[in-house]
Amino acid sequence: MFFDLNIKGSSLENNIKLAKEASKYGWDHINFSYNQNEFSDGLNFRDELNENLEDIIDFDYTLEIKSTNINEIRKITNKYRNKASCISVVGGDLKVNRAVVETVKIDVLSRPYLKRFDAGLNHVLAKEALNNNVAIELCFKDVLKTYLSHRSKTLSNFRDIYVLYRKFGFPLILSSRAESVFDIKTTHDFIAFFKQSGLTDDEINMSFETAGNILEFNKNRDKMIFKGVRRVTDEA
Amino acid sequence: MKLKVLPPTLRKNNRYLTVEIKVKSSISKDDLVAIVWDGCVRFQGELNTSNFNLWVMRFFEMGKTDDYYLYKAIIRCQRGFVDDVRSSLALINKYNNDSISITTIGLSGTIKSSQKYI
Repeated sequence: MFFDLNIKGSSLENNIKLAKEASKYGWDHINFSYNQNEFSDGLNFRDELNENLEDIIDFDYTLEIKSTNINEIRKITNKYRNKASCISVVGGDLKVNRAVVETVKIDVLSRPYLKRFDAGLNHVLAKEALNNNVAIELCFKDVLKTYLSHRSKTLSNFRDIYVLYRKFGFPLILSSRAESVFDIKTTHDFIAFFKQSGLTDDEINMSFETAGNILEFNKNRDKMIFKGVRRVTDEA
Repeated sequence: MKLKVLPPTLRKNNRYLTVEIKVKSSISKDDLVAIVWDGCVRFQGELNTSNFNLWVMRFFEMGKTDDYYLYKAIIRCQRGFVDDVRSSLALINKYNNDSISITTIGLSGTIKSSQKYI
Protein backbone atom coordinates (compact mmCIF):
# COMPACT_ATOMS: atom_id res chain seq x y z
CA MET A 1 0.00 0.00 0.00
CA PHE A 2 1.31 3.45 -0.94
CA PHE A 3 0.51 6.18 1.57
CA ASP A 4 1.20 9.88 1.21
CA LEU A 5 0.39 11.67 4.46
CA ASN A 6 1.15 15.16 3.26
CA ILE A 7 -0.53 16.54 0.16
CA LYS A 8 -1.29 20.21 0.59
CA GLY A 9 -5.05 20.66 0.76
CA SER A 10 -6.78 23.70 -0.69
CA SER A 11 -10.17 24.15 -2.39
CA LEU A 12 -12.55 21.28 -3.15
CA GLU A 13 -11.86 21.38 -6.90
CA ASN A 14 -8.11 21.38 -6.45
CA ASN A 15 -8.29 18.51 -3.94
CA ILE A 16 -10.32 16.42 -6.37
CA LYS A 17 -7.84 17.16 -9.16
CA LEU A 18 -4.87 16.16 -6.98
CA ALA A 19 -6.57 13.01 -5.70
CA LYS A 20 -7.43 11.83 -9.22
CA GLU A 21 -3.88 12.41 -10.38
CA ALA A 22 -2.47 10.58 -7.33
CA SER A 23 -4.78 7.63 -7.94
CA LYS A 24 -3.71 7.50 -11.62
CA TYR A 25 -0.06 7.38 -10.55
CA GLY A 26 -0.53 4.43 -8.19
CA TRP A 27 -1.12 5.95 -4.75
CA ASP A 28 -3.58 4.10 -2.51
CA HIS A 29 -4.16 6.63 0.26
CA ILE A 30 -3.50 10.36 0.56
CA ASN A 31 -3.90 12.84 3.39
CA PHE A 32 -4.75 16.46 2.67
CA SER A 33 -2.86 18.66 5.08
CA TYR A 34 -4.19 21.95 6.38
CA ASN A 35 -2.67 24.30 8.89
CA GLN A 36 -4.45 25.22 12.14
CA ASN A 37 -6.19 28.24 10.57
CA GLU A 38 -7.59 26.40 7.54
CA PHE A 39 -8.33 22.98 9.04
CA SER A 40 -11.94 23.81 10.04
CA ASP A 41 -12.68 25.14 6.54
CA GLY A 42 -11.29 21.92 5.06
CA LEU A 43 -13.58 19.82 7.27
CA ASN A 44 -16.63 21.69 5.94
CA PHE A 45 -16.44 20.08 2.46
CA ARG A 46 -15.26 16.66 3.64
CA ASP A 47 -18.58 14.93 2.82
CA GLU A 48 -18.67 16.42 -0.66
CA LEU A 49 -15.07 15.34 -1.23
CA ASN A 50 -15.95 11.87 0.02
CA GLU A 51 -18.77 11.61 -2.53
CA ASN A 52 -16.49 12.63 -5.38
CA LEU A 53 -13.60 10.33 -4.45
CA GLU A 54 -15.54 7.34 -3.18
CA ASP A 55 -14.36 4.78 -5.76
CA ILE A 56 -11.14 6.56 -6.70
CA ILE A 57 -8.84 6.81 -3.67
CA ASP A 58 -8.89 6.75 0.15
CA PHE A 59 -8.26 10.10 1.74
CA ASP A 60 -8.02 11.69 5.17
CA TYR A 61 -7.00 14.95 6.76
CA THR A 62 -3.71 15.88 8.39
CA LEU A 63 -3.46 18.85 10.72
CA GLU A 64 -0.17 20.56 10.05
CA ILE A 65 0.71 22.87 12.94
CA LYS A 66 3.01 25.71 12.01
CA SER A 67 4.12 27.65 15.06
CA THR A 68 7.25 28.37 17.04
CA ASN A 69 5.37 28.72 20.32
CA ILE A 70 5.42 25.39 22.19
CA ASN A 71 2.42 26.18 24.39
CA GLU A 72 0.39 27.07 21.32
CA ILE A 73 1.39 23.79 19.65
CA ARG A 74 0.20 21.82 22.73
CA LYS A 75 -3.06 23.78 22.85
CA ILE A 76 -3.82 23.20 19.15
CA THR A 77 -2.92 19.50 19.45
CA ASN A 78 -5.38 19.00 22.32
CA LYS A 79 -8.08 20.90 20.44
CA TYR A 80 -7.89 18.90 17.20
CA ARG A 81 -6.67 15.48 18.44
CA ASN A 82 -10.02 13.76 17.84
CA LYS A 83 -10.78 15.52 14.55
CA ALA A 84 -7.57 14.81 12.61
CA SER A 85 -6.33 11.37 11.58
CA CYS A 86 -2.77 12.63 11.77
CA ILE A 87 -1.20 15.62 13.49
CA SER A 88 2.12 16.87 12.24
CA VAL A 89 4.21 19.84 13.33
CA VAL A 90 6.51 21.70 10.97
CA GLY A 91 10.02 21.58 12.44
CA GLY A 92 13.15 23.60 11.88
CA ASP A 93 13.29 25.42 15.19
CA LEU A 94 15.34 23.41 17.71
CA LYS A 95 12.94 24.11 20.57
CA VAL A 96 10.00 22.98 18.46
CA ASN A 97 11.85 19.84 17.29
CA ARG A 98 12.63 18.92 20.92
CA ALA A 99 9.12 19.63 22.23
CA VAL A 100 7.47 17.67 19.41
CA VAL A 101 9.54 14.49 19.79
CA GLU A 102 8.71 14.57 23.53
CA THR A 103 4.94 14.75 22.95
CA VAL A 104 3.08 11.45 22.58
CA LYS A 105 -0.03 13.16 21.27
CA ILE A 106 1.76 14.36 18.13
CA ASP A 107 2.23 11.83 15.33
CA VAL A 108 4.77 13.46 13.03
CA LEU A 109 7.63 15.93 13.18
CA SER A 110 7.67 17.26 9.63
CA ARG A 111 10.92 18.43 8.07
CA PRO A 112 13.18 18.97 11.13
CA TYR A 113 15.86 20.33 8.73
CA LEU A 114 13.74 23.22 7.41
CA LYS A 115 15.59 26.55 7.08
CA ARG A 116 18.56 25.14 8.98
CA PHE A 117 22.20 24.45 8.19
CA ASP A 118 22.00 20.96 9.78
CA ALA A 119 19.55 18.07 9.95
CA GLY A 120 17.83 19.45 13.08
CA LEU A 121 18.07 16.02 14.75
CA ASN A 122 20.70 14.51 17.02
CA HIS A 123 21.00 11.31 19.04
CA VAL A 124 18.99 12.78 21.96
CA LEU A 125 16.04 13.79 19.78
CA ALA A 126 16.25 10.49 17.88
CA LYS A 127 15.90 8.51 21.14
CA GLU A 128 12.98 10.67 22.27
CA ALA A 129 11.26 10.21 18.90
CA LEU A 130 11.58 6.45 19.27
CA ASN A 131 10.31 6.44 22.89
CA ASN A 132 7.29 8.61 22.10
CA ASN A 133 6.60 7.03 18.71
CA VAL A 134 6.84 10.34 16.84
CA ALA A 135 7.61 9.84 13.16
CA ILE A 136 10.08 12.04 11.31
CA GLU A 137 8.84 13.15 7.92
CA LEU A 138 10.98 13.88 4.86
CA CYS A 139 9.36 15.73 1.96
CA PHE A 140 10.12 15.12 -1.70
CA LYS A 141 9.09 18.68 -2.52
CA ASP A 142 12.02 20.13 -0.56
CA VAL A 143 14.36 18.53 -3.10
CA LEU A 144 12.10 19.11 -6.11
CA LYS A 145 11.75 22.86 -5.60
CA THR A 146 15.38 23.59 -4.76
CA TYR A 147 18.40 23.48 -7.07
CA LEU A 148 22.21 23.40 -7.06
CA SER A 149 23.76 24.05 -3.61
CA HIS A 150 20.44 24.16 -1.73
CA ARG A 151 19.41 20.81 -3.20
CA SER A 152 22.76 19.31 -2.24
CA LYS A 153 22.42 20.59 1.31
CA THR A 154 18.89 19.20 1.62
CA LEU A 155 20.09 15.79 0.37
CA SER A 156 22.96 15.96 2.84
CA ASN A 157 20.45 16.62 5.66
CA PHE A 158 18.42 13.62 4.47
CA ARG A 159 21.54 11.43 4.71
CA ASP A 160 22.27 12.64 8.26
CA ILE A 161 18.74 11.65 9.24
CA TYR A 162 19.18 8.22 7.60
CA VAL A 163 22.27 7.60 9.76
CA LEU A 164 20.30 8.34 12.94
CA TYR A 165 17.34 6.31 11.64
CA ARG A 166 19.56 3.24 11.11
CA LYS A 167 21.08 3.53 14.59
CA PHE A 168 17.99 4.37 16.66
CA GLY A 169 15.11 3.07 14.52
CA PHE A 170 12.59 5.86 15.07
CA PRO A 171 9.58 5.87 12.72
CA LEU A 172 10.40 7.52 9.40
CA ILE A 173 7.84 8.55 6.79
CA LEU A 174 8.26 9.86 3.27
CA SER A 175 5.79 12.22 1.66
CA SER A 176 5.50 14.39 -1.41
CA ARG A 177 3.86 17.56 -0.03
CA ALA A 178 2.45 18.16 -3.49
CA GLU A 179 0.64 21.44 -4.05
CA SER A 180 -0.31 21.01 -7.70
CA VAL A 181 -0.55 18.28 -10.32
CA PHE A 182 3.01 19.16 -11.35
CA ASP A 183 4.37 17.93 -8.01
CA ILE A 184 2.78 14.47 -7.99
CA LYS A 185 4.96 11.65 -9.33
CA THR A 186 4.35 7.94 -9.82
CA THR A 187 5.09 5.71 -6.84
CA HIS A 188 7.99 4.14 -8.78
CA ASP A 189 9.59 7.54 -9.40
CA PHE A 190 9.12 8.43 -5.74
CA ILE A 191 10.82 5.20 -4.64
CA ALA A 192 13.60 5.60 -7.24
CA PHE A 193 14.42 9.05 -5.91
CA PHE A 194 14.65 7.95 -2.26
CA LYS A 195 16.73 4.95 -3.32
CA GLN A 196 19.12 7.35 -5.02
CA SER A 197 19.31 9.47 -1.88
CA GLY A 198 20.54 6.48 0.12
CA LEU A 199 17.59 4.50 1.49
CA THR A 200 17.20 0.79 0.77
CA ASP A 201 14.10 -0.90 -0.63
CA ASP A 202 13.20 -2.35 2.78
CA GLU A 203 13.53 1.02 4.49
CA ILE A 204 11.26 2.65 1.91
CA ASN A 205 8.65 -0.09 2.26
CA MET A 206 8.89 0.29 6.03
CA SER A 207 8.18 4.02 5.72
CA PHE A 208 4.92 3.31 3.85
CA GLU A 209 4.04 0.73 6.50
CA THR A 210 4.73 3.29 9.24
CA ALA A 211 2.40 5.79 7.58
CA GLY A 212 -0.33 3.13 7.48
CA ASN A 213 0.28 2.27 11.13
CA ILE A 214 -0.10 5.92 12.18
CA LEU A 215 -3.55 6.07 10.58
CA GLU A 216 -4.55 2.69 12.06
CA PHE A 217 -3.30 3.68 15.54
CA ASN A 218 -5.22 6.96 15.47
CA LYS A 219 -8.46 5.20 14.59
CA ASN A 220 -8.27 3.48 17.98
CA ARG A 221 -6.64 6.31 19.91
CA ASP A 222 -9.79 7.26 21.84
CA LYS A 223 -10.10 3.65 23.10
CA MET A 224 -6.55 3.69 24.41
CA ILE A 225 -6.47 3.87 28.22
CA PHE A 226 -2.70 4.13 28.34
CA LYS A 227 0.18 2.76 26.30
CA GLY A 228 -0.39 -0.94 25.65
CA VAL A 229 -3.96 -1.08 27.07
CA ARG A 230 -6.97 -0.68 24.78
CA ARG A 231 -10.69 -0.97 25.47
CA VAL A 232 -12.23 -3.64 23.16
CA THR A 233 -15.94 -3.95 22.48
CA ASP A 234 -16.12 -7.32 20.69
CA GLU A 235 -16.62 -10.39 22.84
CA ALA A 236 -13.98 -13.06 22.40
CA MET B 1 32.31 3.75 -44.98
CA LYS B 2 29.89 2.56 -42.37
CA LEU B 3 31.07 0.74 -39.27
CA LYS B 4 30.13 -2.91 -39.07
CA VAL B 5 27.33 -3.65 -36.57
CA LEU B 6 28.59 -5.08 -33.29
CA PRO B 7 27.79 -8.69 -32.43
CA PRO B 8 24.90 -9.04 -29.93
CA THR B 9 27.18 -9.92 -27.01
CA LEU B 10 29.09 -6.64 -27.39
CA ARG B 11 26.03 -4.41 -27.79
CA LYS B 12 24.71 -2.30 -24.97
CA ASN B 13 21.48 -3.45 -23.35
CA ASN B 14 18.81 -0.79 -23.37
CA ARG B 15 15.65 -0.07 -21.44
CA TYR B 16 12.89 2.21 -22.73
CA LEU B 17 11.13 4.59 -20.34
CA THR B 18 7.71 5.88 -21.33
CA VAL B 19 7.35 9.29 -19.76
CA GLU B 20 4.44 11.67 -19.32
CA ILE B 21 5.28 15.36 -19.59
CA LYS B 22 3.07 18.14 -18.28
CA VAL B 23 4.21 21.65 -19.12
CA LYS B 24 2.64 25.11 -18.94
CA SER B 25 3.81 26.14 -22.44
CA SER B 26 4.19 24.04 -25.56
CA ILE B 27 7.51 22.28 -26.25
CA SER B 28 9.07 20.44 -29.20
CA LYS B 29 11.10 17.22 -29.33
CA ASP B 30 14.34 19.23 -29.39
CA ASP B 31 13.27 21.04 -26.24
CA LEU B 32 12.63 17.70 -24.55
CA VAL B 33 16.11 16.47 -25.51
CA ALA B 34 17.62 19.57 -23.88
CA ILE B 35 15.38 19.18 -20.80
CA VAL B 36 16.28 15.51 -20.29
CA TRP B 37 20.03 16.08 -20.68
CA ASP B 38 20.00 19.14 -18.46
CA GLY B 39 18.03 17.31 -15.75
CA CYS B 40 20.36 14.30 -15.75
CA VAL B 41 23.58 16.36 -15.81
CA ARG B 42 22.30 18.56 -12.99
CA PHE B 43 21.27 15.75 -10.65
CA GLN B 44 23.75 13.00 -11.50
CA GLY B 45 26.69 15.02 -12.79
CA GLU B 46 28.58 14.77 -16.08
CA LEU B 47 30.45 11.58 -15.19
CA ASN B 48 27.41 9.53 -14.17
CA THR B 49 25.28 10.84 -17.04
CA SER B 50 27.85 9.53 -19.52
CA ASN B 51 26.81 5.99 -18.52
CA PHE B 52 23.13 6.48 -19.27
CA ASN B 53 23.24 6.24 -23.10
CA LEU B 54 20.29 8.66 -23.30
CA TRP B 55 18.22 9.12 -26.46
CA VAL B 56 14.70 10.43 -27.07
CA MET B 57 13.25 7.79 -29.40
CA ARG B 58 9.64 8.98 -29.86
CA PHE B 59 7.71 12.10 -28.98
CA PHE B 60 3.91 12.35 -28.93
CA GLU B 61 1.63 15.37 -28.43
CA MET B 62 -1.35 14.18 -26.40
CA GLY B 63 -3.38 17.40 -26.14
CA LYS B 64 -4.02 20.31 -23.86
CA THR B 65 -6.00 20.78 -20.66
CA ASP B 66 -6.85 24.01 -18.81
CA ASP B 67 -3.68 23.75 -16.72
CA TYR B 68 -1.04 22.25 -18.99
CA TYR B 69 0.05 20.78 -22.35
CA LEU B 70 0.39 17.01 -22.15
CA TYR B 71 3.05 15.03 -24.04
CA LYS B 72 4.34 11.48 -23.91
CA ALA B 73 7.75 10.27 -25.01
CA ILE B 74 9.87 7.15 -25.13
CA ILE B 75 13.37 7.68 -23.76
CA ARG B 76 16.17 5.14 -24.12
CA CYS B 77 18.62 4.50 -21.30
CA GLN B 78 21.11 1.79 -20.46
CA ARG B 79 20.10 -1.24 -18.41
CA GLY B 80 21.18 -0.85 -14.78
CA PHE B 81 20.76 2.93 -14.74
CA VAL B 82 16.96 3.09 -14.86
CA ASP B 83 16.52 4.39 -11.29
CA ASP B 84 19.19 7.05 -11.85
CA VAL B 85 17.43 8.36 -14.96
CA ARG B 86 13.99 8.08 -13.36
CA SER B 87 14.95 10.14 -10.32
CA SER B 88 16.71 12.76 -12.45
CA LEU B 89 13.64 13.19 -14.66
CA ALA B 90 11.33 13.33 -11.64
CA LEU B 91 13.33 16.24 -10.21
CA ILE B 92 12.91 18.50 -13.25
CA ASN B 93 10.47 21.26 -12.35
CA LYS B 94 11.19 24.33 -14.47
CA TYR B 95 11.82 24.97 -18.17
CA ASN B 96 12.10 28.57 -19.43
CA ASN B 97 10.47 29.72 -16.17
CA ASP B 98 7.40 27.55 -16.82
CA SER B 99 6.40 24.68 -14.55
CA ILE B 100 7.11 21.25 -15.96
CA SER B 101 6.61 17.78 -14.57
CA ILE B 102 8.08 14.58 -16.01
CA THR B 103 7.07 11.23 -14.56
CA THR B 104 7.77 7.73 -15.81
CA ILE B 105 4.63 5.73 -16.50
CA GLY B 106 6.15 2.63 -18.07
CA LEU B 107 9.35 0.64 -18.48
CA SER B 108 10.05 -1.86 -21.27
CA GLY B 109 12.83 -3.74 -23.00
CA THR B 110 11.76 -2.83 -26.53
CA ILE B 111 10.27 0.23 -28.23
CA LYS B 112 7.43 -1.87 -29.56
CA SER B 113 6.33 -3.02 -26.11
CA SER B 114 6.69 0.46 -24.65
CA GLN B 115 4.05 1.70 -27.16
CA LYS B 116 1.33 0.13 -25.00
CA TYR B 117 1.79 2.88 -22.40
CA ILE B 118 1.10 5.64 -24.94
